[in-house]
Amino acid sequence: MSRFAGCYLATALLAVPAAAQIGNPAGLDADTRMAKPGVPALHQTNNQDRLFARLAAAGGMAEVELGKLAAGKTETEAVKEFANRMVTDHGTANDRLKQLAEASKMPLPEKLDAEHAAIRKRLQSLNGKAFDLAYIKAQIVDHQKASHLLQWEISSGEDAELQRYAAEILPRVLLHLEMARNIHDELAGVVTQ
Amino acid sequence: MPKISTLTVVGAAALGAVVYSLEANSDPLPPDLTYRPLATLPFSQVKEIDEAQKSAVMQRQLDTLNRRYDLSNRPEEGAMMSGGTRPVQSGVRVKLPDGVSWDSLASMTPQEIREKRLLPEGFMPLPHVKQATGGQVFPNRQIEEINRQEARDLRRFDVDFDLPDHMTPEFPPPIFLTTHPELGDVSRGQLLTIKNHYELLNGIITPVQMEGLRLLLTPFPQEEFNQTEDRKVAGQSLGVACLDCHANFSTNGAFHLTPDIRPQASRFRLDTTSLRGMFNQQIHGSKRSLRSVEDFTEFEQRTAYFNGDHVSATRKGANLPDRTNQVAMMAQMQNIINFPPAPKLDMFGRLDRARATDRELEGEKVFLGKGRCADCHIPQTSFMDNNMHDLKLERFYDVGRTINDFVAIPDGPIKTFTLRGIKDTPPYLHDGRLMTLADTVEFFNLVLGVKLSQQEKDALVAYLLTL
Repeated sequence: MSRFAGCYLATALLAVPAAAQIGNPAGLDADTRMAKPGVPALHQTNNQDRLFARLAAAGGMAEVELGKLAAGKTETEAVKEFANRMVTDHGTANDRLKQLAEASKMPLPEKLDAEHAAIRKRLQSLNGKAFDLAYIKAQIVDHQKASHLLQWEISSGEDAELQRYAAEILPRVLLHLEMARNIHDELAGVVTQ
Repeated sequence: MPKISTLTVVGAAALGAVVYSLEANSDPLPPDLTYRPLATLPFSQVKEIDEAQKSAVMQRQLDTLNRRYDLSNRPEEGAMMSGGTRPVQSGVRVKLPDGVSWDSLASMTPQEIREKRLLPEGFMPLPHVKQATGGQVFPNRQIEEINRQEARDLRRFDVDFDLPDHMTPEFPPPIFLTTHPELGDVSRGQLLTIKNHYELLNGIITPVQMEGLRLLLTPFPQEEFNQTEDRKVAGQSLGVACLDCHANFSTNGAFHLTPDIRPQASRFRLDTTSLRGMFNQQIHGSKRSLRSVEDFTEFEQRTAYFNGDHVSATRKGANLPDRTNQVAMMAQMQNIINFPPAPKLDMFGRLDRARATDRELEGEKVFLGKGRCADCHIPQTSFMDNNMHDLKLERFYDVGRTINDFVAIPDGPIKTFTLRGIKDTPPYLHDGRLMTLADTVEFFNLVLGVKLSQQEKDALVAYLLTL
């Protein structure tokens, strides 16, 4: 499974379209600078991209932190593999986001947000199967939200580099979601076949 | 006293934790994932930027179309649409990826095609020309005719229609009535509008139908065609009429985004469906599954007109047709629109053996048997089953891929469309991603895994032309 997924991801990354996204200008900030007529310049400050970067960074940071917690605590091989995968995949994605945010001088959050701090606290108090289920359920919700957030940036963002980043990450997030749903069904004993 | 205050603190902390976890359930996400955000710039500035972007928008779309399809004008020999003014286009137009044939593709598993990324791009969902904005886009001939008859402007300044004229339905389409089969086409070769409808149908339809027709031709404000700064048409607009897309109760190929999905990026393109044969349909709207034509007609003011956003409608001028006095009349008019004649079909939708050719009969056999078309498109019930089905095309591609700002998520269940009169209404599938009938045969051959031979595919196309 993981070998197949790895191959699949590598090809998915190559296929991301190079053309810039083109949004609805009705939602642009009043002081948007244009690189050429109708094309917003890169690396400028606007609410959409800043909000996206903050929320994406907060989510990504939580993925890594909760992944480390889960990898250390779980006794289930599939959960451990998934958690380690979250640490590496989101670690790489977080680094790229950081570079893009720095280029636009967007400050990113430095500590876990309240929502994920609460999840971490809850996970710390659980063990065994209860822990596995709680972790994987939280992962399902997180990846669902990440999918909405990335799609929001793809149509509402302004910065072409951030939009390309979102488009590149989205298939991976949906793949993670599929994996998490499968692990959940296995852990919970849902009849799937 | 200290005791009480400790208790209070503990109680407050416990309450805080409960409230906190409730809050955490919906947080944090951007605030406008479901509702349409208000414009932030004045109209003149938006228009200027939209116009500056337009050539890049159209170029990107044309590049995508040309990468996917052969859009050349290659008519099918001896096959005209029902009005006799436009030939049906021939051949498979979806381009194959390098190194595969249709047969080699059909012999692979969905997983293999997905891993090797071999699903022909033309089988993927077709993006709207401008996903972030979306909205109705009319073909040029509709825009020109409405302008000529009504001096009403349907031309957007941000996008143009993207498909060549010969890939769309004939214009204007003929109109056949269930109440007057002996008359044949009653359109007199004209596009029905608010200006000419009375003269064209006076003496043919009832007063109630006439009033319904008038309402179906009356423009009402719409998401992109209205009087606010949110419009995409240069002048303040009276709006759009139902039959601006469903031209002459058929379709002119105008497209839109589905109102039924959020966020905006994953709303798929919708090709206007024909209203012919509405009288026999039990569900309406490709995704909405509304249960009567009355519900559909009433709710269309919230969906097609306003992207399924009643909040936006309230601001721009919602039209809420009265259920008993208006909606019922609009429905009565729609319910007398017939399919085009199909002289080779009997009353059960089966080919008349005395009239059909051997190839058409062979096609019918494939349709009913090996091809599994009739599992959903049942001849006896106007070639549909009044159900929605999920083809699960995502077995063949990586979900979440972005194509021209459109995010391809699985389509989910879509209504079975009728195949009666199918030669008249290209392009095909709910988003118009397939240009010809031969394309649809290749698409379903792969998706259903039925492994038809070339002869069987050709026979199937010949059969579809008789419907």
